[in-house]
Amino acid sequence: MSMWINRIDTHILPINFQYHAPKTLEEALKLLAEYGDEAKILSGGTDLLVKMKQRLIEPRHIISLRNLTELRGIREVEGGIHIGAATKLREIERSQIIAERLPLLHEAVKAIGSIQIRNMGTIGGNLCNASPAADSAVALMALGAELHAQSIEGERIIPIENFFKGPGATALKPVELLTAIRIPPPPENYGWAFRKIGRTSLDIATVNAAVLLTLRGGRIDLCRIALGAVAPTPVRAVRAEEHLRGREPTPELIQEASELVVEDISPITDVRGTAEYRVEASKALVRDALNLSIERAGGGGR
Amino acid sequence: MRQSFRFIGRSTPRMDGVAKVTGREIYASDIYLPDMLYARVLKSPYPHARVKHIDVSGAERLGAVVVTYRDVPDVVYCPRLVSTPEATYKDWRVLTGKPLYVGDPIAAVAAESEELAQRALEAIEVEFEVLEPSFDPLESMRPGKPLLHERIRYMGEEVEVENNIACTMEIEQGDVERGFEEADVVLEREYRTNRRYHCQLEPKTAVVRPEPGGGVTIWTTTQSIHNTRLLIHEIFGIPVGKINVVKTALGGAFGSSIQTNIVVPIAVALALKARKPVRLAYTREEDLHEHCAYQMIFRLKLGARRDGRLTAGSLEAILDIGAHQIQAYPLLGCLVGWWVSLYKLPNLRYVGKAVYTNKVPSCAMRGYGNPQITWAVESLMDELAEELGLDPLEFKLLNHVGLGDLFWGQGPTVKSIIKSSGVEELVRRGARLIGWDKRPKPGAQRGRYRRGIGFGRGFHTSSAGAPVPGTVVDYTGAMLKVNEDGTLDYVTAMMDCGGGTLTAHAKIIAEEIGVPLECVNIVRADTQTTLYDVCTHASRGVYAGGAAALQVAREVKRKLLELAARVLDAYPHALKIRPDEERGQGVIYVEGVEGREITIGELASMARHKNWGTIAAVASVRQGSCPPHFTAYFVEVEVDTETGKVRPIRVVAGADVGRVINPKLAEGQIHGGFAMGWSMALLEDTPYDPRSGDLLNKGFITDYKLPTARDLPPLEDFQVFFVETEEPTGPFGAKGLGEGALNPVAGAIANAIYNAIGVRFYELPITPDKILKALKGGERR
Amino acid sequence: MKIRFKLNGREIEAEVEPNTLLLNLLREHLHLTGAKYGCGIGECGACTVLLDGEPILSCLTLAVEVDGREITTIEGLARDGELHPLQRAFLEEGAVQCGFCTPGMILTAKALLDENPNPSEEEIREYLKGNLCRCTGYVNIVKAVKRAAEEMAR
Ligand SMILES: Cc1cc2nc3c(=O)[nH]c(=O)nc-3n(C[C@H](O)[C@H](O)[C@H](O)COP(=O)(O)OP(=O)(O)OC[C@H]3O[C@@H](n4cnc5c(N)ncnc54)[C@H](O)[C@@H]3O)c2cc1C
Ligand code: FES
Ligand code: FES
Repeated sequence: MSMWINRIDTHILPINFQYHAPKTLEEALKLLAEYGDEAKILSGGTDLLVKMKQRLIEPRHIISLRNLTELRGIREVEGGIHIGAATKLREIERSQIIAERLPLLHEAVKAIGSIQIRNMGTIGGNLCNASPAADSAVALMALGAELHAQSIEGERIIPIENFFKGPGATALKPVELLTAIRIPPPPENYGWAFRKIGRTSLDIATVNAAVLLTLRGGRIDLCRIALGAVAPTPVRAVRAEEHLRGREPTPELIQEASELVVEDISPITDVRGTAEYRVEASKALVRDALNLSIERAGGGGR
Repeated sequence: MRQSFRFIGRSTPRMDGVAKVTGREIYASDIYLPDMLYARVLKSPYPHARVKHIDVSGAERLGAVVVTYRDVPDVVYCPRLVSTPEATYKDWRVLTGKPLYVGDPIAAVAAESEELAQRALEAIEVEFEVLEPSFDPLESMRPGKPLLHERIRYMGEEVEVENNIACTMEIEQGDVERGFEEADVVLEREYRTNRRYHCQLEPKTAVVRPEPGGGVTIWTTTQSIHNTRLLIHEIFGIPVGKINVVKTALGGAFGSSIQTNIVVPIAVALALKARKPVRLAYTREEDLHEHCAYQMIFRLKLGARRDGRLTAGSLEAILDIGAHQIQAYPLLGCLVGWWVSLYKLPNLRYVGKAVYTNKVPSCAMRGYGNPQITWAVESLMDELAEELGLDPLEFKLLNHVGLGDLFWGQGPTVKSIIKSSGVEELVRRGARLIGWDKRPKPGAQRGRYRRGIGFGRGFHTSSAGAPVPGTVVDYTGAMLKVNEDGTLDYVTAMMDCGGGTLTAHAKIIAEEIGVPLECVNIVRADTQTTLYDVCTHASRGVYAGGAAALQVAREVKRKLLELAARVLDAYPHALKIRPDEERGQGVIYVEGVEGREITIGELASMARHKNWGTIAAVASVRQGSCPPHFTAYFVEVEVDTETGKVRPIRVVAGADVGRVINPKLAEGQIHGGFAMGWSMALLEDTPYDPRSGDLLNKGFITDYKLPTARDLPPLEDFQVFFVETEEPTGPFGAKGLGEGALNPVAGAIANAIYNAIGVRFYELPITPDKILKALKGGERR
Repeated sequence: MKIRFKLNGREIEAEVEPNTLLLNLLREHLHLTGAKYGCGIGECGACTVLLDGEPILSCLTLAVEVDGREITTIEGLARDGELHPLQRAFLEEGAVQCGFCTPGMILTAKALLDENPNPSEEEIREYLKGNLCRCTGYVNIVKAVKRAAEEMAR
């Protein structure tokens, strides 16, 4: 490890691997079953290739999703909206369905990287990479998404809450593929907001936050708050949510709730920001997001 | 009276533009030669260590050519050859057995592909004895700390290094103590700058081809082909005439290739051993381990009387230079020069120390210490004005160094009298445009978003010319010859780092002689076919390089007129030349006499048929002056007091660059300067991880953020204006611009932030983190 | 592995390794050095090329993955020696300094104008944010894209 500096050469991909481009999902699952730990899925490659160049992972087999059209596309299905795991972020950003039905996701996806990154990167990649800062993850958490995983053994559905296990770690088994994301139809007249802070406009989040809520009789009813880059995984601000539920959204209440996010986060200090900064920024983002959501839900807001 | 010009003062596209927009321009990193080997460098993983054992047999078994610190010439050198020996300390070797920072080159391999070279690199085994590192200059200077260099070389002798102090300089003028006593207000503050990285878009590259007969041809990222050549001669002893450094386009440098980059001697060593062309292109992460800007700590003290006159100043500067000297000693001189040339200090004291630390070596970065010290001075002047109850504008104008004053262009040995200055007009006009009178009271706002306006002014030298030689080499060679169709070949060693320097030269030539601009052909040159040029740095491209171009143009014009006089049967002084766009060349004519004319092409052809010889001129020109160009920035920012983010609202930037040769390209320098200053103030830094001793970002720009198009102010809120003066010593009255465009930016931004939130920051960059902390703590010094 | 793809309008065939990056295939094997290496990890945009008309990063793309697709590099933009309006506008507006970012910048801008012929300044800035420029502060680049859009609308 001490000679790590000499193992990096970002001109090239200094790793030898076998490349597979299965034509069908079944074929892909078979390859996964065969190689398991030694294989890595290549979707858009914007995380995978960077990590390989940084010599953080050195897979012996690369299984490309490029031919698997069944893993792509966005459609309305019974039980919500279905997004294929290998759908490009750009396609989600451009999708009419998403813009109209899930503007929260639209905005979170638009906040990811650059045009180039979104032309290459996929939503499945954003989730499976399991960065605590992944922008789509907080939005999908607030939306209560379900993730469809498949192996040759069959399919299972993982609520997004249970998907992230730590930086870079997910609930997927090495033989499993994420095939789709399903988002339940959002409630009527809901309010939403996505907020992100980075060092520049092209940056992984220092903190990001997503809110989804509804009002009933002037009181907050359903409420989900998700935060990223402030814990080993994206997290829900459960205490703040509880504090808000059933109450009238006064500025004081919003203030109290945003202070409560500290109960559910455990930020660290890194190059992007200090732990103290992340705490302060989390409060500010959540307050902003709550106010905007309430306004969008038809409440007074601030 | 304003002269009217054909080309000077008009915006014309840059002459290398078509090649650049079509992807045809060739940069050093675009050179691939037949039968070429790819090189990779073995870098130290430790910040301070000694190689106990190195085994390269694994690499050799893979077929790689390997050189280690044991195989390179035992020569201690300084990679920058701009200063004379009296101002040059030497402490570099091509490869080292005692690495001084993470990334220090120990060995290098070359193989048929980059993949193979990388495999070979990974097959090298090294055993290290790990030594204690120092990352902070104050700590490094403590007696008893392990020395990075025990001995270094100066003027052919070995000198001992004490307490890791690389070099020092002290200057005292007048009576400082008395000066401070005379003052009604004295302020003293400590400032600490960031350690920035140039992040020029093209990482350092060298391609070296050994030639039959023992010579080498070199393509590399350099700001000076001739100094590269001389250094390779110094290290390898190859006769100068057998070393040819070829000019290529340069993907930015900002000072990071004034010195010859380490890739060059390493690639030469490999090529000589392999007897094949070798390409050593650094990756971005290696480039981040190759160079950075000087980080500085200042203790700055200024005193002034109630009437606003400065009475005294003292400056203690500690420079964290990293592991080697590139130009630390000359910088100590320049730094004091920049300081005393901002505001008049009747009494002053300066103590400068450059200190070794186990970090990436520092070098000049656009402004050569000037952005750093100007930030501190502009901040303290603002603070002092407030204490005195004066408008900072008036306070600064009252004390500024201007027309008729002595200017230190490049330290104590390079000075000249200022003969052109637009400072007053810059400041007044800028203030009007931004609405200076309406700026808020500092710290008076209460809302979440608070806006503030800040002002910073500055300057930079144009070249290191002076009436006496000094300790800085500064001259430029040029050649100009007339072709048989009326076109001209212009040959210069000067590099264009992107500023449009050579396009400006072409305009000077076209203007002077009177030919269409397209007639001037900028020759792709190399060291064997050009006269010496010191370097494209110190904003000297237009002022000093342009002076050489002007001189050869004058000479060629004189010869043209003499010959034409014979042919046209007229007196040379009665002849004129006009650019004839239709004929695509210049036409020499007798004023007032119809039909008595000849094109330059006809004349040049005649000269050939009649064996009169080539119409040409050669000159090597030294400027006898170093006129400052001046800039003034007014910046409005908005601070989000809940996230600590700072947003640019409006920028008004004014510059006095003497005569403006090419307005669009000149504006481009301001735009780029602002962007760099913006991120200097708010964003850029290369902190170290004390545990590994490596950069915290490990060399990945994922964590070295630069502003994107999205992070800078909208077009209509970025106003640039020029106050044209006529510099009597400059070609067509022109001065430089590249560096003045940056120098005052960080100061203006820091002052704007203060104006918005009433908090001053003494450490760069001013991150959201620091802003929130200060606001929360109610800190106000 | 053998791959076939369209490069600047021409069908071509190339023999590549699984780990060959598109950037290196273009620069070293196909001698198109317009796409530049600036970071190798997706941060700078200097290596941008168009894949089926959309900007992507060739430093993070396996060459095998472009099999059957269409690639446009900066060298393929000028048609029959005639500069693309964006190339002309970059020249006229002084949007080029060192020029190292220029090929990637122009290609990204082309994709923008193909998709949105009349972008606002904010849209231009947003679209170009993956292309770093250290020299120009982007001012003249944004101006050039606006100018090209106006010219192309005529
Ligand atoms: C310059 C740059 C900027 C970026 N900015 C952002 C940003 O602002 N916000 C943000 O959230 N991210 C950002 N990213 C990260 C990245 O682009 C996104 O996470 C992207 O969505 C990843 O998708 P991909 O298809 O490229 O993933 P890949 O790299 O292909 O895959 C990522 C990981 O997931 C695995 N994987 C992919 N698909 C599947 C699947 N279907 N089943 C199982 N495993 C799978 C892969 O094996 C790999 O380990 C940035 C990256 C770069 C280089
Ligand atoms: S080289 Fe590809 S993004 Fe920088
Ligand atoms: S012109 Fe130099 S990086 Fe853009």
